[in-house]
Amino acid sequence: MDQQPNTQQLELTMKKSYYFIGLLLLFFSGNVYSQDLDALLNAETKPTINFATATFKSSRIINGHSIEQMKKKQLDFRISHRFGAINSGAYELFGLDHSVIHFSLEYGVKDWLMIGAGRGSFNKTFDSFAKFRILRQSTGAKEMPISLSYFTSVELNSMKFDTTPIKLSPTTYAPRVNYFSSRFTFVHQILIARKFNDKLSVQLTPTFIHRNLTKTELDKNDIFALGAGARYKLSKRLSVNAEYFYTVNPNAKFMETRYYNSASVGIDIETGGHVFQIMLTNSQGMREGTFIPQTTDNWLDKGIHLGFNISRVFAL
Amino acid sequence: MLKKIFMLILLGASVGVYAQSKFIAKNAYTSFYSSTPMEDILGESNEVVTILDSDKGEIIFQALMTTFHFKRALMEDHFNENYMESTKFPKAKFKGTIEGFNKDMLKAPVANIKITGQLNVHGVEKTITVPGTLGLEDGKLVATSKFKVSPEEYGIVIPSLVRDKIGKEMEVTVKVNYIPFGQ
Repeated sequence: MDQQPNTQQLELTMKKSYYFIGLLLLFFSGNVYSQDLDALLNAETKPTINFATATFKSSRIINGHSIEQMKKKQLDFRISHRFGAINSGAYELFGLDHSVIHFSLEYGVKDWLMIGAGRGSFNKTFDSFAKFRILRQSTGAKEMPISLSYFTSVELNSMKFDTTPIKLSPTTYAPRVNYFSSRFTFVHQILIARKFNDKLSVQLTPTFIHRNLTKTELDKNDIFALGAGARYKLSKRLSVNAEYFYTVNPNAKFMETRYYNSASVGIDIETGGHVFQIMLTNSQGMREGTFIPQTTDNWLDKGIHLGFNISRVFAL
Repeated sequence: MLKKIFMLILLGASVGVYAQSKFIAKNAYTSFYSSTPMEDILGESNEVVTILDSDKGEIIFQALMTTFHFKRALMEDHFNENYMESTKFPKAKFKGTIEGFNKDMLKAPVANIKITGQLNVHGVEKTITVPGTLGLEDGKLVATSKFKVSPEEYGIVIPSLVRDKIGKEMEVTVKVNYIPFGQ
């Protein structure tokens, strides 16, 4: 009798457990029933991916492209000026008498694809580009620490060809042959950016440029460069930007023309549909094929240009 | 045996009560609109989550700021970056009680109602009373509301430069098709 519980005892245990389960159910149902509405709402709100927006205010940091691009069906009309160098003196009103202009139309075909075409007075250049968004920085349901885009452009130098005959010896000359393909420059860039917080964003821009024809034999056809840019927001509508392009040029010391790395500082002012960018830079060109390999002014010699970009966005 | 039946009834009751007392919509429409001679602004979201608790006559809404979309993409950036500060205040929330609520209102044709509750936008909470409608339309439980809010009251600063483009008051429109919770 001590070793095995009798049937009466077993029944009692079962009854107890039924009561217990019953009570548990009652408690549970009551619990669900009176569940806090806020908690229920949060449980029903699906986790979202929070993309980092407005890493930069504009599609340019200063001269170079930023990770930002026009969204679908948005058209950006941009006008940019770079005045002459400050060291040109009072006679040239410190560069203000001369200016180089660039204007372009840039359009978002898809949220991830932007195209544009423009014209610059520097070397009378026509250009077109495409920018593809590959990765977007995000938190939440999907974590991505950086944004990454691929940028590519073609520039066409439309300056009149040099037609002077080539001197073979003091007395013999050969006519110069020019090819249309000599006018082209191709640019490839990977844009890698991170918005660290509401104020600070940083971008690295590895760059490869190919020029079909260079000015001299010592100028390289293929150029590698690394760009670095950052913006810091001073207020909601004002930010300070800086940009630097380090260009690899092993022949620099043998060359007649000295080229410098492009360095720029500026501010962005945003007013509704416009973004004004005002900058000081040692580059007068405004496209990758010109300001990266062809910057001939130097900050240390006060070879500084005042400039601005104006961006006006239209929704089509 | 009796105990088992009792338990089954309890189980059924718990599920039944749970399902019938609450109504939910995960794709409720919410918009805000401002019109000035300079510019019309319309932000729309179709991803607002709302629950109606018919036992207490309570209604709750939650909108993630990043689900609002605009015709002009730049407006969307400015909305999140400059005005709503969406990384700091990702959600807007409203929790209120329907005045004079009874369960029959959910089975009757659409009628006017009034809701009083707390609206939390941009981290600022205010008690508001808004008009609306609630009831059956084509056999579906629907609710709507239209009311005005002033951005300034919720600590949203609009600089003088764009003051002429953004209305002093935003007209908020809400449209919901509720379904029983758990379906």
